[in-house]
Amino acid sequence: MDIVLGILRAILFVVIAYAVVFVAALVNIYFERRAMAFIGDRLGPNRTGPQGVLQSIADAFKMMGKEDFRPLLADPVLFTLAPVTVMIGAVAIQLVLPYTQGLLATDLNIGVIFLVAITSFTTLAILMGGWASRNKYSLVGALRAAAQMISYEIPMLLALLIVAMIVGSLRVSAVVAFQAGYEWIGFYAPFTFLMFYIASIAELNRGPFDLPESESELVAGYATEYSGMRFGMFYLNEYAGLTIMSMVTVTLFFGGWMGPWSGALTWWGIDWIGILWFLLKTYVLVFMLVWIRFSIPRLQVDQLMGFAWKILIPLGLVNILATAAIILWVPEWKWGLAIFGWVSFFAFVGLFDPLLKRRLRKQRERQPVVSA
Amino acid sequence: MYDHFETPEPDEAVKLALRRIEESTARGEGSDVDGLEFNEVVVNMGPQHPSTHGVLRLVVTLDGELVKDVIPVIGYLHRCKEKLAERRTYFQYIPIVDRTEYLASINCEWAYVMTVEKLAGIQVTRRAEFIRVITGELMRIASHLVAVGTFTADLSPLGTAMVFYMFRDREVILDLMEELTGARMMFNYYRFGGVRYDLPDGWVERCRDFLKMFPRKIKEYEALVDDNAVFLQRTQGTGVITQQDVVDYGITGPNARASGIDLDLRRHRPYSVYPELDFEVITAQHGDIFDRYRCRMDEMRESLKIVEQCLDMLPKGPAQLGSLRAPYVITPPPGSCYVGQENPRGEYGTYIESDGSRYPSRLKYRDPCFCNLQLFPKLLSGNKIADAVAISGSIDLVLGGIDR
Repeated sequence: MDIVLGILRAILFVVIAYAVVFVAALVNIYFERRAMAFIGDRLGPNRTGPQGVLQSIADAFKMMGKEDFRPLLADPVLFTLAPVTVMIGAVAIQLVLPYTQGLLATDLNIGVIFLVAITSFTTLAILMGGWASRNKYSLVGALRAAAQMISYEIPMLLALLIVAMIVGSLRVSAVVAFQAGYEWIGFYAPFTFLMFYIASIAELNRGPFDLPESESELVAGYATEYSGMRFGMFYLNEYAGLTIMSMVTVTLFFGGWMGPWSGALTWWGIDWIGILWFLLKTYVLVFMLVWIRFSIPRLQVDQLMGFAWKILIPLGLVNILATAAIILWVPEWKWGLAIFGWVSFFAFVGLFDPLLKRRLRKQRERQPVVSA
Repeated sequence: MYDHFETPEPDEAVKLALRRIEESTARGEGSDVDGLEFNEVVVNMGPQHPSTHGVLRLVVTLDGELVKDVIPVIGYLHRCKEKLAERRTYFQYIPIVDRTEYLASINCEWAYVMTVEKLAGIQVTRRAEFIRVITGELMRIASHLVAVGTFTADLSPLGTAMVFYMFRDREVILDLMEELTGARMMFNYYRFGGVRYDLPDGWVERCRDFLKMFPRKIKEYEALVDDNAVFLQRTQGTGVITQQDVVDYGITGPNARASGIDLDLRRHRPYSVYPELDFEVITAQHGDIFDRYRCRMDEMRESLKIVEQCLDMLPKGPAQLGSLRAPYVITPPPGSCYVGQENPRGEYGTYIESDGSRYPSRLKYRDPCFCNLQLFPKLLSGNKIADAVAISGSIDLVLGGIDR
């Protein structure tokens, strides 16, 4: 009996995970197109269904109806496997994400590490797809993606280490439980959150870090040779990634599913109000991601790598040292952390841009005036 | 499944690129990985590529992210514009000029009409001269809007918002032009000795509304990118055109002025009523991407100033020579004539040779984009791909003009 229940439970969570990926992708595609149109002073898709809400579904059907095309010289096995592999990350990461009280697939004791480990599947899939396509644009895009994602995994891991240090556990459920009573880690460690957020944008391959598929240079990057539903899988993963990554961020830094009245409506041991809070917080972050994409020009390869290795990683290491010292030696360490966190947050946000601009101004003054 | 297949034979440009790689490898340059014959990859950018703004094809040799060599291949938009002139009367050819450089079509028309007038000795009515300056400067603004908009779109998704703001405001200009000429892109508006229609009622007021509105919009664009550290970092100091390059390659227009060369035919080889107008020639000092962008932005302001003065000075009188009918058939005396005109992209020259018949015996354009394109191999080599795209965007090519 237990085995049957276990299997049913497993099936339920797989269905939920896939449903989240597909629904989130369709919603995000529509959402981003409308938001982009709003920012660009346009209307965006508004014809299919009321306010165009069915547009993504129509697009999905269009993609499924297209020819299943593989270039002549492509590697047949890898080319077919890559779009399948790309979904693994987005689906499997939900294994350790608590959607709400009582709705958590498994409570892995290394959950936080698992989060980082499983995101690498996307890198693998992109590398596979880019290599197998036998297209130079795809190859350059894939290698860029690999370099970028490996670089930005390190600051991401450094940020997660701090979360683990504060909570004292690697279990995701423990991270959420720690934040009960609105003691969000995002408030204690805002600078850590900022680092994690920047790294997660880079992991998602989104603007300003969308080099692997920068359409002005590499056509469509690693996905250049893909069409139809195979391209659709990459596309779905990319947009589902917005929601998934925001869910991770909310879980780790903003109290997960907890909010006012959570627990008020509990059926079958599941807290339904919690789901609403979880989604609300997630979509605030998703909107931030869309907004950032259309506000900052794309970085260049060397600037991108420089930002990870010269700025984020040293700062992350210093942050770890300082956090460890505060937790060890300061009696009221939570307050100590909060003060340190906010000071470093505002210092980074307030100083980074002016310092960069000052450097640019100096460079500009030194820049030689052209002459014959 | 596919037992027998043939990869297509590479064409001349790709072969040239491959040959150059072999030569450089033989010289001992480039290769730094053991066991590889060479590291470079030949990539075809275009003629279908999102960032070439038309059908420009660049055969690019890449060493990783670095651009080693560029071979521009043109001719994909060749429509025999020059040859067509030899089978058309001077008058019939006017609408075809529109289609050479289509983003600033009225300026091209102006150049052609001016050349024929000079050749045939036709005097333009004064009101028509002012209308020509007004329309020409409006199209200069519209053309710069496209140039800057697509260039920022090459840099980032931020630019995709920017390009829509710019096209939104370009729309106002196109509406004005549509009201005046009946067309939005291919105007067919200038006639020998005048223009086809006089300004319609209320057009001057609507134009003034635009003049009042537009400086605010320019400020808006500048607020978006001028203060953006990432934008500055990517544009300053890259893609520098030196003054020697300008002289060697015959670069004209905003690209030359951004390198500090004070060259503007409206001022230095004045035509029409420009000598009576008060405007500045915008120059910059560094000659990089950012300066070219700044030059275009400031030139839009100057164009606004010119249009405003013209509206104030607009004289009464006929907009066309003599009666309502323009001189349809003209036969200039035998001889040849070259007139250079300041197109938004540089000196747009038209050379016409007449043998005294109704048809020109030879017509030749000097297109600014064609000259600017020659600089590409030198300008792009040694940069990253992303920079190469930004640089080619900042040069502002229109393939319709290059291929004709």
